[in-house]
Amino acid sequence: MMTFAGFKDSFLWYSFKRDKIAIISLLVLVLLVMVAVFAPLVAPYDPYDPEMIDIMNSEIPPVWEDGGEKAFVLGTDSQGRDMLSTMIYGMRVSLIIGFGAVALQAILGVFIGLFAGYHGGFLDSFFMRAADVQLSFSYLMVAIFMSAILQAIVGVARFGEIAVPFLILVIGFSQWPQYARTVRASVLAERNKEYVEAARVAGFPSAQIIIKQIFPNTLSPILVLSTIQVANAVMSEAALSFLGLGMPIDRPSLGSLINSGFEFIFSGAWWITALPGLLLVILVLSINMLGDFLRDVFNPKLYKG
Amino acid sequence: MQKLFTRLFPILLVLLLAGFVQAKTMKLAMDADPVSLDPHMQLSGGMLQYSHMVFDPLVRWTKETSIEGRLAEKWERKDEKTVRFFLKKGVKFHSGNELTAADVIWTVKRLKDSVDFKGIFEQFEIPVQVDKYTVDIITKVPYPLLINTATYIFPMDSQFYSGTDAKGTDKGVINKTGYSFANDNASGTGKYTVVERQQGVKVVFKEFKGYWDEASPGNVEEIVLTPIKNDATRVAALLSGDVDFIMPVPPQDMDRIEKASNVKLVTMSGTRIITLQLNQQRVEAFKNEKVRQAIVYAINNAGIAKKLMKGRATVGGQNSPNGYLGYNADLTPRYDLKKAKQLMKDAGYEKGFEISMIAPNNRYVNDEKIAEAAASMLGKIGIKVNLKTMPKAQYWDKFDEQVADVQMIGWHSDTEDTGNFFEFLLMCPNKETGYGQYNSGHYCNAEVDALTLAVQSETDDVKRTAMLKKMEKIAYDEAAFVPLHWQDLSWAGKTNLQIAPIVNVMNFPYFGDLVIE
Amino acid sequence: MIAFMIRRITQALIVIIIISIIGFAIKQSVGDPLRELMGISVSMEEREEFREKLGLNDPWYVQYGRFLGNAVKGDLGTSMFYKRPATEVILEKAPATLELVFVSSLIIIFLSVPLGIFSAIKPNSLLSRLLMGGSIVGVSIPVFLTAIMMVYVFSIKLGWLPSYGRGEVVMIGGWGTGLLTVDGWKHIIMPSIALSSIMLPLFIRLIRSEMMEVLESEYIKYAWAKGINKKRVWFVHAFKNTLLPVITVGGVQLGVTIAFTILTETVFQWQGLGFMFMEAVERSDAPLLVAYLMFVGIVMVGVNTIVDMIYGLVNPTVRIAGVK
Repeated sequence: MMTFAGFKDSFLWYSFKRDKIAIISLLVLVLLVMVAVFAPLVAPYDPYDPEMIDIMNSEIPPVWEDGGEKAFVLGTDSQGRDMLSTMIYGMRVSLIIGFGAVALQAILGVFIGLFAGYHGGFLDSFFMRAADVQLSFSYLMVAIFMSAILQAIVGVARFGEIAVPFLILVIGFSQWPQYARTVRASVLAERNKEYVEAARVAGFPSAQIIIKQIFPNTLSPILVLSTIQVANAVMSEAALSFLGLGMPIDRPSLGSLINSGFEFIFSGAWWITALPGLLLVILVLSINMLGDFLRDVFNPKLYKG
Repeated sequence: MQKLFTRLFPILLVLLLAGFVQAKTMKLAMDADPVSLDPHMQLSGGMLQYSHMVFDPLVRWTKETSIEGRLAEKWERKDEKTVRFFLKKGVKFHSGNELTAADVIWTVKRLKDSVDFKGIFEQFEIPVQVDKYTVDIITKVPYPLLINTATYIFPMDSQFYSGTDAKGTDKGVINKTGYSFANDNASGTGKYTVVERQQGVKVVFKEFKGYWDEASPGNVEEIVLTPIKNDATRVAALLSGDVDFIMPVPPQDMDRIEKASNVKLVTMSGTRIITLQLNQQRVEAFKNEKVRQAIVYAINNAGIAKKLMKGRATVGGQNSPNGYLGYNADLTPRYDLKKAKQLMKDAGYEKGFEISMIAPNNRYVNDEKIAEAAASMLGKIGIKVNLKTMPKAQYWDKFDEQVADVQMIGWHSDTEDTGNFFEFLLMCPNKETGYGQYNSGHYCNAEVDALTLAVQSETDDVKRTAMLKKMEKIAYDEAAFVPLHWQDLSWAGKTNLQIAPIVNVMNFPYFGDLVIE
Repeated sequence: MIAFMIRRITQALIVIIIISIIGFAIKQSVGDPLRELMGISVSMEEREEFREKLGLNDPWYVQYGRFLGNAVKGDLGTSMFYKRPATEVILEKAPATLELVFVSSLIIIFLSVPLGIFSAIKPNSLLSRLLMGGSIVGVSIPVFLTAIMMVYVFSIKLGWLPSYGRGEVVMIGGWGTGLLTVDGWKHIIMPSIALSSIMLPLFIRLIRSEMMEVLESEYIKYAWAKGINKKRVWFVHAFKNTLLPVITVGGVQLGVTIAFTILTETVFQWQGLGFMFMEAVERSDAPLLVAYLMFVGIVMVGVNTIVDMIYGLVNPTVRIAGVK
């Protein structure tokens, strides 16, 4: 196992120290995640608390613009909610969905990839064909149809409560092939190596070989892929919410905030769309930068596309 | 590519210019285009708007909400059930056929067959021809709103729509989901004919040379209608000069349009009331009058009208807008958060409760935002609202199923009369009679029901007015529903368009009368 | 090769059947199309009668059987809203989307190839670094945000470009093209840039990394040693070999591009399939939705098959695996 001292001597840490962009990205990301995690403490208002929303405060511009008010540093949206707080909570929702979806894809994809790759045969070709089919349909279409089914099952009125797990499911389910293929590729590379052969000859059960011997070798591509996938998942969620198929308006994510401000951008209230948009870009960019750095360091063979 | 382009450019330019030779073309952008060319396919604002362009009604509403004759030169009430209409002579359909009483009779028959219109024409008998240009329109019972309803009679060319088409189907048939002759072909008496139509993309209307109304000042020879669904884009198209006229105009952009020098805005207070219904069957607490009142007091509808609607709506306390017979000036909007909290306390719901709410998100002006604001206002008196909004195509189904405790509905009286609100929204729901069809609140008051039925055949205006006002008062006192506002009607266009004279409270600009300077 | 093709076609059929089942399973749950078709004051019984007439009250498997039977005959149902066969509607809307995808593919190809090659052969130049930095920013901006920003700047603030629709469309046969008029080109500029904004950086990076990998390979080193002209090595020997993975990825990315046409077309009200799809969702126009799903499925399967075949032609090992 890797200890902290071991980590300090590692190539990863060495390269990290020398890469300013990676350091900045990590700092920004950590800051954003902390803000999201501690949203109730950090945000000046609670955007979910109706007591704090007054329609009469709607569309106040940010403090540096004409008509801005100190009470609302980044202005307010059309409902009179504080933009800063709403964005913080929105980012929280986006991150929960992003990480949740990636965790789900990773579990599914890694599991399928490991076993399909190790055993080969029918199971392997079945899952890889399924992955083909799945990949030809983008998450957007899958999500649109699933949301229709789900609304029919749980009833529209309850939909708001289950929107978060639902989006995690949709985005998670639609992207597992990325993991399965990447992991499978590493498994195929490892499967015939001597140490695996040795373990097999020694009579270890295959589950144990897979988990103890092969799995650790797939970790670095998984790490790299996961970073990219978190960024993708956050963007996917934003796209869905932008189309009105994601988070409901009273529990907004960054995507639904951008959407709700879209009609105001022309009428002068640019901040309702532009600020959440900017935050989304910064968030995704910092994750992508880190992913880029990790890819350069590990240089794994990822499944392309 | 570049080279090819520069070479083709002069040719293309000529081609393009050729299209613009004739003057007085108006480019019109609306939120949707007509769903069919058959005026009886659907009863909706969009289709009626279309009907006024390609067809002409017997009579129509004026800007001052009085009735003026169109194809009917004059009319006189023969008895309680009969009005005699004298048609203009020499009016030609687009096909060249002449308008006669037979066309009116044929049209009313078709209306009575149409799924959408048969409700409105329920009270009507088949009209009786007096002579070639005179027809008696008769109702089954004394019906004070006969003339109002005649605004829905757009005589169709009965010869044109009779017989069978190339596919062997009856030309007169109304088909909502598939091909019909009338869905693709039209022959009316209106100023315009449809010369090109790509559904959802554009419709081109051209002036009909044999149009009967030569007194009309209108000088628009061609109208190109483009549907632009997104509010912001529609406004952008007007401001950039891509289109000449837009409707509706989103409230958040009205100021900007007023300030712009090359365009102008025309607004008019509307007659569509936006309301919330509180389902008393789903929620025990809503049976309590105090709770309902608390909700009405908690919702800052003045704030919604001022902020979300940007002051482009009239805040309401009742169904009837000012100008309707039933409008009761005493019934003012009530917003008082303190009182609302007190009422909740009095009712024994100090701790509040949790409810669900649904609203459409593309039906009324800012509907989604209004619902969101209302939900958070209810939060202030301890009522936690789970809100879900959806497109109108999905919404009405859910509305009927009454899947949520609070449901939004906007209502415009088809007859421009107060009784209509009560028949659909506030009478006790009754499957057999069809009354209270959109009363998802299950508000039920025998007195209101009795009054609503009584006004239907009350032909004395003074008595009717008193009864209608009383109905509004009862609904107000018992907080039968939550009135929000009447949304303003709005149109905007380039400054050389004389918009104001052609618009009216029905929201059918009479484009035939539009003057472009 | 024949065995390979048969396998591919069988797969394609299975995919299409799965799609049709999925499409059908949701048919009931997308909402009631009648509400969009009828005025609000139509009574409950009228609607019920109408449902019965349309067969909307039959059990789903009866409806599915009916659908499959017709689908085999090329009839995917009648769009409730357009009142025309769904296939006809789709064929009418397809040119808009295809032209949009075509123009943005041109943008992607003509920019990503030279830029990708350049940043591979001169990895340390300032431009390459800017490109790499810029491309990562590029992939981090959602398509709809790019689109909104462009509308804001070029339509609202500057008033240079129109913000909606296709502009002047010329009909050539059954194909309505916007590529023959100045107006049409003005309208396609922003949507096509927006659509290519995500793919372009991806492709630049992909071409760069593939090219760099190839440049490291033995035979290129051998080519250098032989003293072959620099440009010939770069553009003929090296670039040819980077094409293979680029084509493969291109095929897979088509699915993503189709998803992005939904976003782009929504913002620009581009009258194509994506816009039609979102409208059909809103209108609960189930036959049109199912037809769209089938259409996209067929296009995807078709393109993937073609990509596989090209791959098979260029790289014989695939064929061998197919024969096995």
